[in-house]
Order: sequence, then C-alpha cells, then structure tokens
Amino acid sequence: MKNSAAKSSGKQPKSFTREEELLLQDFSRNVTTKSSALFYGNALIVTSIPIWLFYRIHMIDVYSSIISFIVVTLVSTYLVALAYKNTKFILKHKVAVKREEAVTREMTKKLAEDKKMSKKEKDERILWKKNEVADFEATTFSIFYNNALFLALVIFTSFYVLKTFTPAVNYILSVGSAGGLIALLSTGSQ
Amino acid sequence: MVKNILFLLSTLTIFSLGVADTCTNPQVAATAYTTNDATVLTNIAFVAEFQLSCSSKVNSLPLYAEINGRTVPAARLSEANKYQVSWTEDLKKARSGDYNVNLYDEEGYAALRKAARSGEDPSAVKPLVTIVVNYPGAYQGPWVNTDFMAAVLAVLVWYLAFSAKSKLLA
Repeated sequence: MKNSAAKSSGKQPKSFTREEELLLQDFSRNVTTKSSALFYGNALIVTSIPIWLFYRIHMIDVYSSIISFIVVTLVSTYLVALAYKNTKFILKHKVAVKREEAVTREMTKKLAEDKKMSKKEKDERILWKKNEVADFEATTFSIFYNNALFLALVIFTSFYVLKTFTPAVNYILSVGSAGGLIALLSTGSQ
Repeated sequence: MVKNILFLLSTLTIFSLGVADTCTNPQVAATAYTTNDATVLTNIAFVAEFQLSCSSKVNSLPLYAEINGRTVPAARLSEANKYQVSWTEDLKKARSGDYNVNLYDEEGYAALRKAARSGEDPSAVKPLVTIVVNYPGAYQGPWVNTDFMAAVLAVLVWYLAFSAKSKLLA
C-alpha cells in the first residue's frame, strides 16, 4: 500500500506496469485532489446547514455563538469529509465488482471497431473505465449517504434528545456528535 | 293614601302585564360566531346575535336561552329587539355540528325551571323559538408537528440510503 500514491506523487516506480499501478490506485485509500476538494466542499455545505436550523427554528443568538458556529462547522466538516472518504473506500471495490460486467461489455462493444488496438491496450482501457465508473459512483453515493445520515442525526438529536438544552449547547452537542458519529460509523463497517 | 298605593299597584300590575306580554308568531334572524383558531385556547366561544320580531308588537322582551341543559340570559342590545347569547364550551367537550339554542320568554323560563326542579323533562317545555348555531370545529394546530415531520423525512431518506448501501455491499 505504500506505493499506492505513486501516481499522484509523480514518482512512478519502474517495477510497476501501468495496469498494476491502476490496480494499486484502485485499492488506495487516498483520494485525488479533485475528489478531496469535492468532499471538503460538500462537507462544509452540509455542516453549515444546521446553522440555519438553529437560527430560524431553535432561535439561537447568532452573535454570541458565532465562534461556536465556526469551530463546530470546521470540526464537523473534517469529520464528515473523513466519513465520505472512508465510505467511498468501502464502496468502491464493491461497486467495481458490481459494475465490472456491464462496463466490460460496453467497452468491448465500443472498442470492437478499432482493429488496430492491441488486446492489452483494450484491457487497460476497460480497467481504467471500470475504475472511473466505480470511483464516480462510490464518491457520489458516499456523499449522499453521509449527508442523509448527518442531517437525520442532527434533526433527531436537536429536536428530541437535546430538546431541554439551551440552543447554544444544543447546537454544539448535536452537530458535533452527529459529525463524530458518522465518522465513527464510516470506520466501523469495513 | 291607601288610594294612592292602590293606584300605584294597579299601574304597576298593568305595566308588568304589558312587559310580560307574549310574543306571538315569533320570527328570528340570527347570525353566529364560533372560535376559528383554538391553537392556544382552552375554551370555544359561541356568540349568537338575533333579532326577534313578533306579530304582537312587543318590545324588549326579556329572553333566556337554553343550550344543552344550560341556561343563560340573552343580553339585549341597544338596537330594538336585538339580542345576543354567548357561552363557552370546554375545548375537549365542544363537538362540531349544530347547536340548538332554545329561547324562552319569562313565562317559558319559569316553566323550564319548574320542570327542572320537579325532575320533569325540561324538553317538554316548548321554547318560544329555536335558533341553530353551527360550529364547524376549530383549528387546533397541525396533526403532526413540523419537527416530527422533518425527523421522519430525514430518517426515511437515510433509510433509503442505508438500504441502497446494504444492497451495494451485499
């Protein structure tokens, strides 16, 4: 797994063929910068949404709790992004296995016309496509799943579990615990 | 002196007879109000206003109203022969639908009280006239609270996501 980030670091060892390297990347827990930005951006949006809930519904005093807004949002953004990453990692292989046949079939059909292309090149392209499809599906599904769980947890804890607390305490505890819980759950179910 | 007193008494008697004059062929035109929004209330208010017109030209007849065994005096409004009857019902006991407001003049009211005292059926006493107040029911807040709705929807979306995830991981 140490060499798994070989491609992203640019130092491609000679001992690995492109196919092997793609395979390694497939099993990597690391995510590309683009996907990382997507995760953090999404996590920031999702963890900022509860501020509105507390401002309009729980009638929190915005000015006095601005620091807790920032701190809690940043911490839970990190936790949610971590959950995205972990869930994506778990899902990616399963998705790859599930979609393998369909991707292979489609790519073979697409590449069948190209007589010049070698068998190896075709296989490589199929593998690459498979990786791309699995990556995309796992990324989007991971974002969807964790968002749904995070918001459900925030709503449930803030309305029912921590109902008697003051809005400021309720905000910190509900958003913080929701972030922590989804990060924990994402590592648990490997 | 005695003559004077007798005269006074007879005048009073005539006067009171005049007041207690019966209303023949009574007609009423009524409007009613009932509470619409009972989200923060414990009682439902009923207000009925009506104008009584009789063939015999009687004015300012004292009237009493009986609603489901409860009697209240009808308030006379400043306008001639206009009355108002109002009462409240406990929110939990107030049923929606038509409420019959039986109106009695003094005589009928006395008969009603007598019937109630002697344990007879008060409904046997015929009211002067009956008006109907319709209570369509009052708004008592949404059936489900918004927070509950939000929680249910959020859990539902999560459940869909979870079942999709389990399907992928299976």
